[in-house]
Amino acid sequence: MKVPSDSRARILQQVHAATQKTENPGDLASTYSNLPRTYVRAGRLSVAERIALMIERLREYDADVVETTSDKLDLAIAAQLRASGRHVFVAAEGLPAAWMAGGFEWKIDRNLSAAEIETCEGVVTGSFGGIADSGTIVLHHSAQEGRRIVSLLPDWHLCILYASRVVETLPEYFARCEQPPVLATYISGPSATADIEMTRIKGVHGPRFLNVIVVDDLGAELNTRQQGKEEISQGKST
Amino acid sequence: MSGTSYHPVLDPALAPPFPKAVLPVLRNPQLRKNVAHAIDVIQAKRARLVAEKVDWQELRSAGAAIREHSLAHLGAYLEQFEARCTAAGGTVHWAADADEARRIILEILRQENASEVIKIKTMTSAEIQLNPFLEAAGIKAYETDLAEIILQLGHEEPSHIVVPALHVNRSQVREIFAQSMGIKDLSDDPKALTAAARNYLRQKFLTVPTAISGANFLVAETGSVAIVESEGNGRMCLTLPNTMITLAGIEKVIPRFQDLEVMLQVLARSATGERMNPYTSVWSGVTPGDGPQRFHVVLLDNGRSKILAKNTERQTLRCIRCAACMNSCPVYRQTGGHAYGSVYPGPIGAILTPQLMQMNYAQSLPYASSLCGACYEVCPVKINIPEVLLELRSQVVNQERGKAAKFFDPMYLGLRAANLIFSRAWLFHAAQYLGRVGLKLFTGKDGWIHRLPSIGGEWTQTRDLRGLPKQPFHSWWAARQKGGR
Amino acid sequence: MRASLFITCYNDTLFPETGRAVVRLLERLGVELDFHPKQTCCGQMHANTGFRGEAFCQAKRFVRMYQDVVAVVIPSSSCVAMIRDQYPGLFEELGNEELRRQFASLLPRVYELSEFVVDQLGVDDVGAYFPHRVTYHASCHGLRGIHLGDRPARLMNKVRGMEQVPLANLDRCCGFGGTFSVKNGEVSSAMLAVKLQDLMATRAEFCTALDNSCLMHLGGAMHRQYAGMKTIHLAEILASTEAEPAEALL
Repeated sequence: MKVPSDSRARILQQVHAATQKTENPGDLASTYSNLPRTYVRAGRLSVAERIALMIERLREYDADVVETTSDKLDLAIAAQLRASGRHVFVAAEGLPAAWMAGGFEWKIDRNLSAAEIETCEGVVTGSFGGIADSGTIVLHHSAQEGRRIVSLLPDWHLCILYASRVVETLPEYFARCEQPPVLATYISGPSATADIEMTRIKGVHGPRFLNVIVVDDLGAELNTRQQGKEEISQGKST
Repeated sequence: MSGTSYHPVLDPALAPPFPKAVLPVLRNPQLRKNVAHAIDVIQAKRARLVAEKVDWQELRSAGAAIREHSLAHLGAYLEQFEARCTAAGGTVHWAADADEARRIILEILRQENASEVIKIKTMTSAEIQLNPFLEAAGIKAYETDLAEIILQLGHEEPSHIVVPALHVNRSQVREIFAQSMGIKDLSDDPKALTAAARNYLRQKFLTVPTAISGANFLVAETGSVAIVESEGNGRMCLTLPNTMITLAGIEKVIPRFQDLEVMLQVLARSATGERMNPYTSVWSGVTPGDGPQRFHVVLLDNGRSKILAKNTERQTLRCIRCAACMNSCPVYRQTGGHAYGSVYPGPIGAILTPQLMQMNYAQSLPYASSLCGACYEVCPVKINIPEVLLELRSQVVNQERGKAAKFFDPMYLGLRAANLIFSRAWLFHAAQYLGRVGLKLFTGKDGWIHRLPSIGGEWTQTRDLRGLPKQPFHSWWAARQKGGR
Repeated sequence: MRASLFITCYNDTLFPETGRAVVRLLERLGVELDFHPKQTCCGQMHANTGFRGEAFCQAKRFVRMYQDVVAVVIPSSSCVAMIRDQYPGLFEELGNEELRRQFASLLPRVYELSEFVVDQLGVDDVGAYFPHRVTYHASCHGLRGIHLGDRPARLMNKVRGMEQVPLANLDRCCGFGGTFSVKNGEVSSAMLAVKLQDLMATRAEFCTALDNSCLMHLGGAMHRQYAGMKTIHLAEILASTEAEPAEALL
């Protein structure tokens, strides 16, 4: 077997030779920063419209969405858990204790094995934020958002999304990342496939049920939201 | 070949030329219906979502610029990727060709004592014939993407790079699953079929400790890999096992994490007609306590650095494998993917495959296009596929024109003669006259030609040709000028 | 206005009636038309089949022949696309400085017929009369190659007596593709079959286009199948009047 480093040197040498005429190694950063980026970066919706769009998009994906306020969040979680008809839940390690409603069996993820998580019927996690334009929920897998495995194996995922963490466009999300995350999962609706005759089937390997609680932590700003909703639906019909 | 022999799938070196390969397909109504249906559905979804995007052309321009910039500085970005990935706990390997990539992967699997491996759909692994190779080495590879399961269990070949089983319909899937999974009363409802696949794989996900993936993007800045998928099989494979091996072409690198804001927007819309695909995962090296604790990246050249060196052809490497070109291609719509004899079918395959083969095989593929330009119009990174097709056609002609066998080939004879004829007006006019007289033999009473010999027969197999008119335009003009004065 | 007609090799040989129609139309609109008797071919067939050197010979010939004219009018969108898309690369690779300069100066004076009428003459009502049911096939080169846009529609909308029927899947290739139609005759025929379904669904009498190459392919199949539809170049419709109907109707 060849020593791998031989191929490394050879490939890099060939690549550098191939790009001799085009590369600008002296000032890669400035060449990069001059790339054309005239696409839409900033959103144009009001806060209320943005949240309404996020919810609309999530519902298009068949996600179950409820809205609540910060002070009623615990109750809203408990109601969702009860409505699910499930009893055994896994909780992300850093999940606030208040979110773990009584009357259910909770397994807190302190390095649970896959087999243990597999026995859970549902999972509750926080989220890094949301992107309204595509109805995407972002997980950076902090302690509150949980390890990747906990939001993957259980068939039912309840995700808490703060309105203040929802942006309108994908570029706005990237602008919010001060540092690139080490781990990131972007969820746009429950697991799905269209591999058989392009018929969209919900639920293959990931959770088949995605429930989202949108928490209004923006207070007054969201008071205009009913109005915002109407504007969006009017905009759609014209 | 390290003493292992295996049966390659869709090997361009063994495939018949495109015009021959299409014949059975064109006579297969079921296959043509399945392909056209799938294509029409994706096309309609894509068109709707692209239309709602006010900045679509700006995104395309940015996508093209980012990819072109990455290629122009590929060496620097690859080294940066390697350094960051290594710092994050990954191990980076370099494979000059398919053979080396296979051996690197096999060696890792041997170190892991793996007898089984689970796989996320990766066309690059198909390019290097990894599955049959591993099979011959005694390692069973389980595909986990629904379409790939259908193909693997049904011993079918992929015909598309995003929805590889689009040529198979629900009743055929039912047959395949019922037989190979031993389920007697399986219905052909896609929901039931999908559930069957879920059950079939669940234990594999939970127990097989080694996984192989491709990469949609490698991020140089962070040393991360990005995987774009729908079903969650990708997340299963990249979360549950102890060891992950990512196989990626060297061209997959993009400079920064933030570049995903362009690439993800154009990829999902172009590939499946979604605003965003259900799941996208990004990870950097190894994260203690979360996901595989051993992580390898195999960077594959396999002819790519040669493509990089060529002016017109380099843009081929911008490709992000969205398949919009094949979905828009009127040729692909009739033939599906198998006729291309490569894991990369459609317009991108028609330019990529012969180049990966270093123009030693697949020379018929650059001609498998009517040059209608639909592929270029939809390409999210603006690959001018017709331009590359023409460049490759000229390379094929340069290869062939010296060969004795091609000297009397009617196409070569005709085009060489035409060149002479077009060089002098009197020759052109004489040829028109001779052509008219010659074709009179074949012209029916209705003034039309119904059957021609040789290459003309290719035309008249389905089309008549009006007999040549007595007076070409230039003679009419000359007579008119004379009469007028 | 003066203009020089580049009829193209296959129109000269196979479709002289299109050329005659262009002459009638443009002269009716007051254009002083020339025809260079030594013209042959733009080189498209060679270039598209991979014979670049040969294509360059035709390209060179074209540029030298027309370098002094006010405008070149070409009733074939694919030949115009050849000149706009492929000549630059050919001259870059094989030409000398002088040729490149000549070409650069000529290029803005090369017009497809509908471009010339709508943009240069500023006319969309050409006074045509064509009392028939007609569907328009947007050839790929006209649609995506040289972006004719709404020019053909603007001209057709002003033709008196004509009933227009939209063609489904207008942006889909008919399968001609030059030598593709014989090198991949079977796929070409399969694409043709699909296009014919859409065409027949229009129940039009005529299928028109700004490129006789697609029309030769479509019309050849219509004739073979006794389909009851004919093809006609748009120039012939635009030239047609009550007093002097199109030759195809005679």
